[in-house]
Amino acid sequence: MCTKIYFVLKRFWSLLLVFWLIQCSDKKIDFNASVKPILNKHCINCHGGVKKNGGFSVLFAEEILKPTESGVPAIIPGNAKKSPFIQRLHENDPELRMPYKKEPLTTEEIDILTQWVNEGAPWGTHWAYETPQKIEPPKVEKSIRANQEIGIQNPIDQFVLAQMKRQNLSPNPRADKVTLARRVALDLTGLPPSKALVAAFVKNKITYERLVDTLLQSEAYGEKWASWWLDLARYADSKGYEKDPGRSIWQYRDWVVSALNQDVPFDQFTIDQLAGDLLPNPTPDQFIATGFHRNTMNNDEGGTSDEEFRTAAVIDRINTTFSVWQSTTMECVQCHSHPYDPFKHKEYYQLLAYFNNTRDEDTPDEAPNFRTYNSTDKQKAEELLQWIATYGSPETRTQFKKFIYFLEPKYQLHHCENFTNGAMADGKWLALWNNGSTYLKNVDPQGAEYLYFNYFSRENGTTITLREKNANGALLAQMKINKNKGQIGRVPFKAPSGVTDLYIEAKNNALAPQTNTSYLSWFAFLPELPGKNRKGYLKMNRYLQELINAKVDKTPILIENPPFMQRTTQLFERGNWEIKTDTIIPKTPAALNPWQKEWENNRLGLAQWLVSKENPLTARSLVNRVWHQLFGTALVNPLEDIGSQSDPPTHPHLLDWMAVELMETQQWRLKALIRSIVLSGTYQQSSFQEEKKKTLDPNNTYYARGPKMRLKAEQVRDQALYVSGLLSRKMGGPGVMPPQPKGIWAHAYLGDLWVESKGEDRYRRALYTYFKRTSPYPSLVTFDAGSREVCLINRMPTNTPLQALVTLNDPVYLEAALALAKQEVNQSEPAMAIVNMFETALYYAPDSEKLESLVSLYEKARASFKENPQALKSFLNQKQPTGEHLAALTLVANAIMNLDEFLTQS
Amino acid sequence: MDPLLKLIQEYRNNRAQDNSRRHFLHNCTLGLGGIALGSLLNGCQKSQNGAPWYNAERALNPLASLPPPFSSKVKSVIYLHMVGAPSQLEMFEYKPELQKLHNQPCPDSLLEGKKFAFIRGRPTMLGSQAQFERAGQSGNWVSNYLPHFRKVIDEVAFLKAVQTDQFNHGPAQLLMHTGTPRFGRPSLGSWVTYGLGSENQNLPGFVVLSSGGTPDAGKSVWGSGFLPSVYQGVQCRSKGDPVLYLKDPNGVSRDLKKGIIDAINDINFKTYAQQKDPEILTRINQYEMAYRMQITVPEVMDIQSEPDYIKTLYGVEPGKESFANNCLLARKMVEEGVRFVQLYDWGWDSHGTDHSTAVDLGLRNKCREIDRPITALLLDLKQRGLLEETLVVWGGEFGRTPMQETREGKTMKYKGRDHHGEAFTMWMAGGGIKGGAVHGETDPIGYQSISGSVSVHDIQATILHLLGFDHEQFTFDFQGRPFRLTDVHGAVINEILA
Repeated sequence: MCTKIYFVLKRFWSLLLVFWLIQCSDKKIDFNASVKPILNKHCINCHGGVKKNGGFSVLFAEEILKPTESGVPAIIPGNAKKSPFIQRLHENDPELRMPYKKEPLTTEEIDILTQWVNEGAPWGTHWAYETPQKIEPPKVEKSIRANQEIGIQNPIDQFVLAQMKRQNLSPNPRADKVTLARRVALDLTGLPPSKALVAAFVKNKITYERLVDTLLQSEAYGEKWASWWLDLARYADSKGYEKDPGRSIWQYRDWVVSALNQDVPFDQFTIDQLAGDLLPNPTPDQFIATGFHRNTMNNDEGGTSDEEFRTAAVIDRINTTFSVWQSTTMECVQCHSHPYDPFKHKEYYQLLAYFNNTRDEDTPDEAPNFRTYNSTDKQKAEELLQWIATYGSPETRTQFKKFIYFLEPKYQLHHCENFTNGAMADGKWLALWNNGSTYLKNVDPQGAEYLYFNYFSRENGTTITLREKNANGALLAQMKINKNKGQIGRVPFKAPSGVTDLYIEAKNNALAPQTNTSYLSWFAFLPELPGKNRKGYLKMNRYLQELINAKVDKTPILIENPPFMQRTTQLFERGNWEIKTDTIIPKTPAALNPWQKEWENNRLGLAQWLVSKENPLTARSLVNRVWHQLFGTALVNPLEDIGSQSDPPTHPHLLDWMAVELMETQQWRLKALIRSIVLSGTYQQSSFQEEKKKTLDPNNTYYARGPKMRLKAEQVRDQALYVSGLLSRKMGGPGVMPPQPKGIWAHAYLGDLWVESKGEDRYRRALYTYFKRTSPYPSLVTFDAGSREVCLINRMPTNTPLQALVTLNDPVYLEAALALAKQEVNQSEPAMAIVNMFETALYYAPDSEKLESLVSLYEKARASFKENPQALKSFLNQKQPTGEHLAALTLVANAIMNLDEFLTQS
Repeated sequence: MDPLLKLIQEYRNNRAQDNSRRHFLHNCTLGLGGIALGSLLNGCQKSQNGAPWYNAERALNPLASLPPPFSSKVKSVIYLHMVGAPSQLEMFEYKPELQKLHNQPCPDSLLEGKKFAFIRGRPTMLGSQAQFERAGQSGNWVSNYLPHFRKVIDEVAFLKAVQTDQFNHGPAQLLMHTGTPRFGRPSLGSWVTYGLGSENQNLPGFVVLSSGGTPDAGKSVWGSGFLPSVYQGVQCRSKGDPVLYLKDPNGVSRDLKKGIIDAINDINFKTYAQQKDPEILTRINQYEMAYRMQITVPEVMDIQSEPDYIKTLYGVEPGKESFANNCLLARKMVEEGVRFVQLYDWGWDSHGTDHSTAVDLGLRNKCREIDRPITALLLDLKQRGLLEETLVVWGGEFGRTPMQETREGKTMKYKGRDHHGEAFTMWMAGGGIKGGAVHGETDPIGYQSISGSVSVHDIQATILHLLGFDHEQFTFDFQGRPFRLTDVHGAVINEILA
């Protein structure tokens, strides 16, 4: 018998071998699936964008076949045997064997690389850099569908169920209606649902779809999703860094809330924020939207270089743009080519060139600011512009419009150099003493007839003279300066032709030596107001003076440099901003979508390129992040990164289907995307964790159960205020200062104080809490809110005793507990009052076991207060003493508001 | 019945027993076995598999103590940061040559190609305002601004040529504590607590104590960056609640608070039985911990109960916010098993703009404020046998110029020095440190280093080394790549290691 088999085998052995070889050669190695992960894991750290040991790099296609330091290429396509790349994997000498001083590769890995080299070492584009394609949702077997009570609600479920089946999992039943209503309300609006809405849904008066649509229409929707976007935008109410003084940019925050509520399509939402200023005839809102990139920090610390921190802000803008829209970490490319992804060092500076020409220069006044006038002044401004339009050219009108609305373009005097008897004073003010002088170089006054200058002074009798080029140059302007708390002045100006250096000189013989005559921060040059001899001219001139000195709400915005103020962008050697080399022209990275001719090669074009349907990463990033908001897990991990270092997507087809759907069918509308996800059966499942599923899929990667998450920092606060009836629904406006413990803002030398808000401002949604970067609101930070210094993609939820202390002891939460208890204080039957409070908080009546725990707490508390009237008297520092009943109910409310069920959505 | 729930109920029945918490955690951990860990691990478990700073116990308690990956010399760190940058030239750097040049105009060679925060025009040289003497067996130099410090000088290894490339406070402090001058990275204390957890679960693992004000860079210098926020420093305050929201509401007794926690946890157990979400068990554990912290933290923060001779030794002022109090607190914390204690003392920015920032006036007072407490801290740690398992680090974010500051190019009324990052002094003492050593030397006027220059990253690498980490291997995956405290820099300073 055995012999027979042997002979059979012997006869067919060669045949089998041939067959096997054919099989193998048929199945070519997939570079992205099999080779790239090995290169990234074992090789790229030493042979990549950072280090190219031995002159060998596996980062780019063109690099991999280049001769190395040994003179020959490491890879000879088609010949693994002769390729040092493969030979070195087999070496016995530890000095020669790769990976150097690490574990050798497994036989399987070596086989893959060998076969790949033998196949000619073909390169492949990573999936993340290919445009997502429309995919048909998979058909799902009836058996699975039948098992599921919810069925297939939309194509999302088809993708999810198909994947689930492969993992031998099946979905959970639908969550009960109360749980679902609370879950979806918290997800869409950040607040629990109203009792009436839940009742209507539970009693089948409205469908789930209707419930979802009602929530999406609520203005609370924009507030909820704004807190997600503001993390990405690194929004804060202070400038950051050492001094961290206040910044007035709340209008940008309000713009985000309103844009989300209006469901501005994401492509427009993007363009407005990145380049609203460059659109034809931008609206005030479009200017305010560019505040997105003015949320970068501004360094007012004494002795800092404005150019250094302007550069830091520009760099942050590139990094943030790519983190937010492309799920790509560009930070590394600042100093060298990307260690893993196909981005080259030079490409970083080509991107920097797009952002490098905005007017902002890290000055303490945060110029340029959009100046929002009150209605009287607004009318004056319109009247004045109308006048200019009537008597002047359209160009003159534009010039004055820019000046009236943003005081641009202007020359900041921190560029002054060669000081004699004077210097830049703290706060970047030019401060000359008597006989002091300085130079402002390369100024192009554009033939202006007037010089506008911002100044203040503590002395009378100073004359500042401006001359062309030097002390002996032609007289250009002369200003008389007296004591003044700060204003914009104007003097006639005799413009020299073309670009020149300004010599600035101060005289005031009455002053003691080394005394500052005056403080100046900028110069601007403008023509004469047109219509000089017309009736009403004087009035118009007065309007102009009044407007530029008017008290306005300022919002930092982006304004592009006019052509005569353009900055040249140069490559920084190894990321050092002080060592500049080659001149760079704006360009997008070659690995991504092609540039369209109709786009202008500026920030606006860049924004259009990002939201082009050919861009492989924008829609995928957005879908992935929105999904993560709703499920707590992402389709591609880590959430920050989609590229060669990220894990393969858990549901690649779903990701691409949703991305295409978003761009095509949903027309970039976020509400439509969110709606499709929450209407899926996948989302509606119960979050119950079955033992078997926990073993098979501990992290719920395959969505065989519904999401359960701890509430986000803002929601923890908002919910407590909502259920207790304290929450104010006032929207927008400057940041508010709800109570926080004393001494939190212990800033050593700034007068900024936390002035506790009064009235309803104490009870606003957390979104509106004043956000100071060096000292964020403590209870929000404890619940994992970031400090908004840089773009934050993912708040990592934690579970700590300090969180327990907040919800147990923070006076804000105790006040909420008291307010909840007061709602039931007239209910003399304690158990009934407790049931009602529980229902208000959680929308269902507690079972007898839970109720028992709460009733016994009530009794214990009541007895304790009875025994100790002094304790009752001091309880919560109430002006009116609280009765035992109310005090006990308050503690029960405090307990309810600390339950896991309350702090999470399940 | 669910075996896990059974275990927990058993625990609850026995919770009066002293060692029950450990017992509970131990059993729970075993019981949890391979099932889902808490959300904390979801983000990082995969990329960090095999890393020694992860185990199942961390699911229930992210601050669970873990052994270091390599052998360690110390268990905890006390880091004393003089915010504003203390003048090395009035404290530890004896420079008789500079004295000779006092009031002479600064030569061009020292100014060419240099940038200063505030010096404009040509400054004059400023000789040290202090008198220097050798002290201890080592004969190391120390000024008369620090008369007490002489007693412990042999415990200390000096780094005389520390270098930083940041000369503004905010960025320089960030570099010192987070390894980068920009925001967004975890602080040293966060890294250490993340890697080692804490030995006392009733206290925060990473405590921050400040006197005089917050550091310029704000709370980010003890922030957790991209690490979970549970690893950020917890500020313990001398006034108000020692930890925010620690105090029970007025009128609520401890017994009553226990009743509240019991009710919460009882109901959470019931919810667990229904939902089977292990995160609920973590929450239960956190509430138990919070309750215990409410007792432990005020106990540790109470310096009144210390014996008089200790209070005198440190020169404490109970009830006030002072550096002396903080030094004593640091000792108490370390004694109780806190992993990382970070002290910030504000007021060292000796520009000479007024009396308090003059190197001959205000600086002398500042030195007086720290001299006795630091000396006491080292002596006290030593007498308790704690110094050998604790690392004490002293320094600022940079040093100061040997020139008189000339702000806005003006002559200043007081003697002051500008920011200077090219060479300044720091010291370390404690376990694994070669007491009495001096590493690094500066030129005769203390302006630039001649030898033994070390970087901020070298200091961080050394601190991690003493705690049992290889700074190059101690990483956290974020944005698709491993990050480390020392970025791509840093080398352990072997010259000061015992």
